[in-house]
Amino acid sequence: MKPVPVLLDCDPGHDDAIALVMAHRSPAIDLLGVSIVCGNATLDRTTDNALRILEFIGAKDVRVAAGCLSPLARELVLGTADGPSGLEGSPYLPKPKTRLDPLHAVEFLAHHLRAAAEPVTLVATGPLTNIGFLLLKYPSLKSKIARIVLMGGAMYRRTEYITPTEFNIFCDPEAARIVINSGLDVTMVGLDVTMHVIVEEPQFAQLRKIDTPLGRVVLDWLKFYEKLHRGQMGVGGALHDPLALAAVIDPTLITTRDAHVAVDLTGTFTFGATVADFWNERQLGTNVHVASSVDSERFFNMLYALLRD
Amino acid sequence: MERIILDVDGAGDDILAILFALGAPGVKLEGVTAVTGAAGSVEQVTRVVLNTLTLAGRDDVPVAAGAWRPIVGNDPRDMEAPVHFEKRLRARFGDRLTGFNPPAPEPIRQAMDRHAVDFIIDTIRTSPGEISVVATGPQTNVALALRQAPDIAMLVKQFVVLGGCFHTPGNITPVSEYNIWADPEAARVVLRSGAPVILVPLDICEDNRVAPSMLTRDDLADFAAGPRGPVVDHVIDTFPIYIDIWREFFELVGFPLDDAIALTTVIRPDLFTMTKPHFVDVALSERLVRGQTVVHRGRQILDFKGPVTTRVCEDLDGRGFMALFKAALRAVDKGRPQ
Repeated sequence: MKPVPVLLDCDPGHDDAIALVMAHRSPAIDLLGVSIVCGNATLDRTTDNALRILEFIGAKDVRVAAGCLSPLARELVLGTADGPSGLEGSPYLPKPKTRLDPLHAVEFLAHHLRAAAEPVTLVATGPLTNIGFLLLKYPSLKSKIARIVLMGGAMYRRTEYITPTEFNIFCDPEAARIVINSGLDVTMVGLDVTMHVIVEEPQFAQLRKIDTPLGRVVLDWLKFYEKLHRGQMGVGGALHDPLALAAVIDPTLITTRDAHVAVDLTGTFTFGATVADFWNERQLGTNVHVASSVDSERFFNMLYALLRD
Repeated sequence: MERIILDVDGAGDDILAILFALGAPGVKLEGVTAVTGAAGSVEQVTRVVLNTLTLAGRDDVPVAAGAWRPIVGNDPRDMEAPVHFEKRLRARFGDRLTGFNPPAPEPIRQAMDRHAVDFIIDTIRTSPGEISVVATGPQTNVALALRQAPDIAMLVKQFVVLGGCFHTPGNITPVSEYNIWADPEAARVVLRSGAPVILVPLDICEDNRVAPSMLTRDDLADFAAGPRGPVVDHVIDTFPIYIDIWREFFELVGFPLDDAIALTTVIRPDLFTMTKPHFVDVALSERLVRGQTVVHRGRQILDFKGPVTTRVCEDLDGRGFMALFKAALRAVDKGRPQ
């Protein structure tokens, strides 16, 4: 099968790091470029992390561009799932030598969309600042975007925080609103499904068997990540971002329900909440495919296979 | 020479501001950027800008199209309210309204093949400390430029923001002025950027306290009696309906020249009374007060922190401004290539 052309916008982040590795290694994906946003850590750190990861996996040819330093209309509130550097699990990875693309991520994405022979799939695993900015700046490039698959949102139940919000949307809800109301084909892979792809002891046992340099780094990432998650929420590490990427490699990993999703911007306790109307009560049609279930076992098998190959 | 980028949303007074900028002494107009706002889509605004420059014989001035929508915006029903207002105007003025914000004809040239946001960023970066950006519509372009290139906050000479209101009631909600309301998140980005800002509120533009600054039929008669040219002729032909609308519906003595007044803060600050720098913020929530501008003058019990960088215009020498305005428009005709 012909690989899907993908631009990956991310804020690495341990789980972003694994998504990057999968995107680079999967034959189903043609990774056109990587754009970086702030979120899990400040922009300089997420950018540095992306370059370190790509160098380590031998993907020096993948261009990386740094984007927005802060959300569109708010101050940056950093994520807490990845430690101060955003990649605490592998402090030994060397400083990157690869040069950053001189373009701002928004221009970088625009450039690659214009140059693409066919519409491109945008995968967003961080706050949606760069993608929202792109759609604000170049609405005509929508025709070059096949679909957007984003990690974000929480529709059904209390999950990550005391508020019914998920970090990527909470961090830049204005950008999220622009993206999901863009009229493009948007799939939200939110906490409803990502909290079902959890790394715990059985998964660690499988990962330990992958005794390669890459396998060992991924294990280090996940050990750090799992510990932090368990301390904060009492469960193992949820592979949020890798699942969004995996759903591009194999869309049958998730099932979706169509809904009209609204993003709350002003609620005292609920700003950033994604409020899904599955019954068309708002009579606004549908704007999002909301991931509603996931085959966790098949996801992990895909991950192990991509790390082994 | 003050080097100025004019960022406009293309309504009637923006046209006058462009003409004013071309003729005013001490202005080097680096370019005009267009943003979606009161006069409709950014395409329409861009056409109006291009046509206005052509009228003035100044096709050399760069023009760049900018944002097609605000960052968040407002309820679509509220956004369409000005359209319904135009229906009321038509009921009152009938066919005379045809000359009011007419659809712009196809310009004879194109805008540059670059986004306004990039034009603003590059122009400021190329000449640190030199460029004033006068934004007379919603602040979307300026905010996006600051988000894409936060360093320009320290490189720009100043941002002039036309918008907000304090003593004068708002024109879109009781406490909010249209430009700020149309993209309050963007205005907030600019006011919190740390860059020097001059805020030109409704108080010194659309309030009869500053009546001498408004364009009246007397001023049109003065134009008619003086030297004529395409620019002066255009003003004489086009603006009676504007004067009448603002007289009848807003009870102002003439057509307020907000955008030209905003530009004047750069070249003739002596015509204004301005506050010392304050932290100015914008209310974002609640339909009733969304877009309200708030000046932190201090002495409150609760603490609100933000950059103390915005000087608010509180008064204007209207006669001085009007004299400058008339001379500038005549100067455009005089300098026009024959």
